[in-house]
Amino acid sequence: MTLCKAKISSIFHGSAVDGKGLRSVIFFSGCNLRCGFCHNPETLFKKGEDYSLEDVISVIKRYKNYYKNGGGVTISGGEPFMQADFCISLCKELSLSNINVIAETNGIIVNKPLMQLLSGIRLDVKNHDNEDGDTLIKRYSPFLNECKSLNLSVTLTNVLIPTVNDGEQNATALNKLISVYPECGKIKLLAFHKMCKQKYDELNIPFTFDVYPQATKEDLDAFYEKLNKTTL
Amino acid sequence: MNFNAWKGFKSGKWQESIDVADFINLNYTPYEGDRSFLANSTKRTDLIMSKVNALFELERKKGGVLDIDCENVSSLLSYAPGYVDKDNEIIVGLQTDQPLKRGVNPFGGIRLARKACEAYGYKLSDKIEEQFKFKTTHNDGVFNVYTDQMRLARHAGIITGLPDAYGRGRIIGDYRRIALYGVDALIENKLADKKAYGEKDMSEENIRTCEELNKQLSFLYAIKEMAKMYGKDISLPAENAEQAVQWTYFGYLAAIKEQNGAAMSLGRVSTFLDIYFERDLKLGLIDEVRAQEIMDDFVIKLRLARQLRTPEYNELFGGDPTWTTESVGGMGLDGRTRVTKNSYRILNTLYTLGPAPEPNLTVLWSENLPENFKLFCAKVSEDTDSIQYENDDLMRPLYGDDYGIACCVSAMKIGKQMQFFGARCNLAKLLLLTLNGGKDENTGTQIGPKGKVFTGKLDYNEVVCELEKYRTWLCRLYVNTLNVIHFMHDKYAYEKIQMALHDTEVERFMACGVAGLSVLADSLSAIKYASVTPVIDENGLITDFTIDGDFPKYGNDDNRVDGIAVEQLNAFSNQLKQTKTYKNAIHTLSVLTITSNVVYGKKTGSTPDGRKKGEPFAPGANPMHGREKSGALASLNSVAKLGYDYCRDGISNTFTIVPAALGETPEEKTANLANMIGGYFANGGFHLNVNVLDRAKLVDAMEHPEKYPNITIRVSGYAVNFHKLSKAQQLEVLKRTYHDTL
Repeated sequence: MTLCKAKISSIFHGSAVDGKGLRSVIFFSGCNLRCGFCHNPETLFKKGEDYSLEDVISVIKRYKNYYKNGGGVTISGGEPFMQADFCISLCKELSLSNINVIAETNGIIVNKPLMQLLSGIRLDVKNHDNEDGDTLIKRYSPFLNECKSLNLSVTLTNVLIPTVNDGEQNATALNKLISVYPECGKIKLLAFHKMCKQKYDELNIPFTFDVYPQATKEDLDAFYEKLNKTTL
Repeated sequence: MNFNAWKGFKSGKWQESIDVADFINLNYTPYEGDRSFLANSTKRTDLIMSKVNALFELERKKGGVLDIDCENVSSLLSYAPGYVDKDNEIIVGLQTDQPLKRGVNPFGGIRLARKACEAYGYKLSDKIEEQFKFKTTHNDGVFNVYTDQMRLARHAGIITGLPDAYGRGRIIGDYRRIALYGVDALIENKLADKKAYGEKDMSEENIRTCEELNKQLSFLYAIKEMAKMYGKDISLPAENAEQAVQWTYFGYLAAIKEQNGAAMSLGRVSTFLDIYFERDLKLGLIDEVRAQEIMDDFVIKLRLARQLRTPEYNELFGGDPTWTTESVGGMGLDGRTRVTKNSYRILNTLYTLGPAPEPNLTVLWSENLPENFKLFCAKVSEDTDSIQYENDDLMRPLYGDDYGIACCVSAMKIGKQMQFFGARCNLAKLLLLTLNGGKDENTGTQIGPKGKVFTGKLDYNEVVCELEKYRTWLCRLYVNTLNVIHFMHDKYAYEKIQMALHDTEVERFMACGVAGLSVLADSLSAIKYASVTPVIDENGLITDFTIDGDFPKYGNDDNRVDGIAVEQLNAFSNQLKQTKTYKNAIHTLSVLTITSNVVYGKKTGSTPDGRKKGEPFAPGANPMHGREKSGALASLNSVAKLGYDYCRDGISNTFTIVPAALGETPEEKTANLANMIGGYFANGGFHLNVNVLDRAKLVDAMEHPEKYPNITIRVSGYAVNFHKLSKAQQLEVLKRTYHDTL
């Protein structure tokens, strides 16, 4: 094993909603985007604890007995692709123990050696600046083309923020992106909520999206409807 | 021996001597399929259940007790036969002459029986008062011998919940023996034993055994009379499934008529009974609908079991539990699963009759259980929050494949081992006693040996060193106290019918326990990794602590603190073994609180982990609520580190997860829950109570009880109806960690 270290904010064991099965989620510190609605403000900057690869591997191995039915490790953050070298070593080590790794990413940084080792991608499409379809395609095609060439399964997610990105034009833009990458399937909406406000306050980071309403189940259903109806 | 009733069974050594395990092994049919064969409830069952539900409602409205018979002392033949619906019942027999009417059992202590009657507006009859005037009860015996120090420790609550005024329970009669052999064969067997023991030299021990055998025999005669009152002759073996259930139930019924033990567990009957169901099904005597109907009627009877308790007792053991624990599933030593169709049927009663806390259905989980069964159990947990899981892969190598769970987490070979229930010591209080130089932190009374009161910043090594001295003192006092209790219980409230359904030579455990483990571990972690200084009042007692800095907390799979928990527990376990036990019982230890974590917290001052005076402990071996930050699996892994080798009486963990956190689709949720349980046990975990529910639902249930009449939740080793908990206990349940996702 190389003497590899990473800045990690925390590791959470037992998520059943960040990919298949039960998963351990490694939240890497540092992000290239720093969106104002980010649910994990503690991961925006590359601070936090230094973890050696050995540390992370030995912790993860204690959870192997829970990873059935496709469960495993999710690298998230922050942006895990900012610490790609570490992630590559991590994937290699975990594959020796038959533990799969998927990544939650913003899809801006392309890293083929890392992507080759992953079992799946959850790419969160950002469109809170009212990006149109062409802008989204331009932004995500380097990453998604690489996924396509590697035959890497991708789930697209999008944080729905009422009054910010829940309009017809947003649905049209997302559909345009999907029309180019139909292999990604339907987009999965994540509800914007403000449970993270306390973390922003504690970190003394302004939570600029506090002014917008949280997304309810009805909001999600309504936007799914829009996605179904909107034609290009 | 040979009986007509055994026609079709494979013969073996079970026919030469009493050996139910051998009978099961040779005759049962493992089932690896899914739930699709199961039948629904019949109209008859629905009708009876609606009557029973109306009685439950009436009982709740009357403040928890429907009626008390104050005229008779509860025993096998004290009451006329009782029925719920005589014409439609399949399995018959009630504790008294009316359903839910409670009997009085003053053998544990007359004062408590009197108090319990008065608490519900009744008066113990003059007849009983007169009868017990010249009788020594278990409680009298114990207090005749208790030393000042025992009384002090008990009063301060450092040793607490002791069975010194009520039945100790946690003894499982092998009720199946009645079905398989009939009572006459059992009598013959005990007569032969009595004769053999009579040949030995009459030492004190042998005289006692002979007297006990005599008591057992008189109750075997009595149980035949009891059955006769219901028109059944149980002298001979059961001839079919219905009789097998009825004969087995009579054994259990006799036990709960005679004893008011805290936990009166059933054992492991469902797979045994499956052999009779299979035989009847093959012969075409019954169909699946009838099989379920018989099991339903049996379970209805079990749900009607009641004991008369005082309100103080309910504070310790909330929700009026009986711990009619039935162990389901597991694996055989030969590698075949012990899951049968009847394992499914008994779990199915949670659907046919609705969710309920009793019987306390306990799934013996093994990695090798059929996948279908694992998924079925997980689904039942999701739907009903009514079952608990225990690690068969840990227990089977120690107890074989015919053990059962008594109460919540106490394993024993059925009919071959028993335990002396010993309640528990309060570890958080032990730490405070240490820091206060042996004084009670609340009253200033000197309870333990005199030591120094700690002042200034606490030094970890010094605290641990001093703690060891007090642990040594406490463990000796504790075991000696239990010796007194169990000597007197045997003398004045011997479990005649339950022991008649054991081998004459039994192995015994002295089941000690601890509470407040997570508070102790976090407190020592704070002392070690943060800076903790006691706050001392004008009387020189520590009232609080100032804590500077952060420290690792138990429940995050962090070895720095989990290691402290393990070390403290093992030290306690080892120390107990230094004091000899009554009847040479084997020392065991549990980490279990029932619902008493609330009361223990109330009696314990502020602790160095930041827990304030009076605040509840976490239940059992659980991490303290709100301190688990690394996810549900990390919390499970912390608890899984506590070693069963040091805690052979079980390690209880109660786990609550919100449904949305389990996954997205229903199939995913069930599979993920099964993997969570399986992973925990594969990592060495011992016990898991599983709740799948939203906190919001409980808050709503608290405000609108009428909307959720049957809301059942798992607390600590057992299930309760949420409405039967005290307000303080309900609030504590709401405070617990509900594992959610980020």
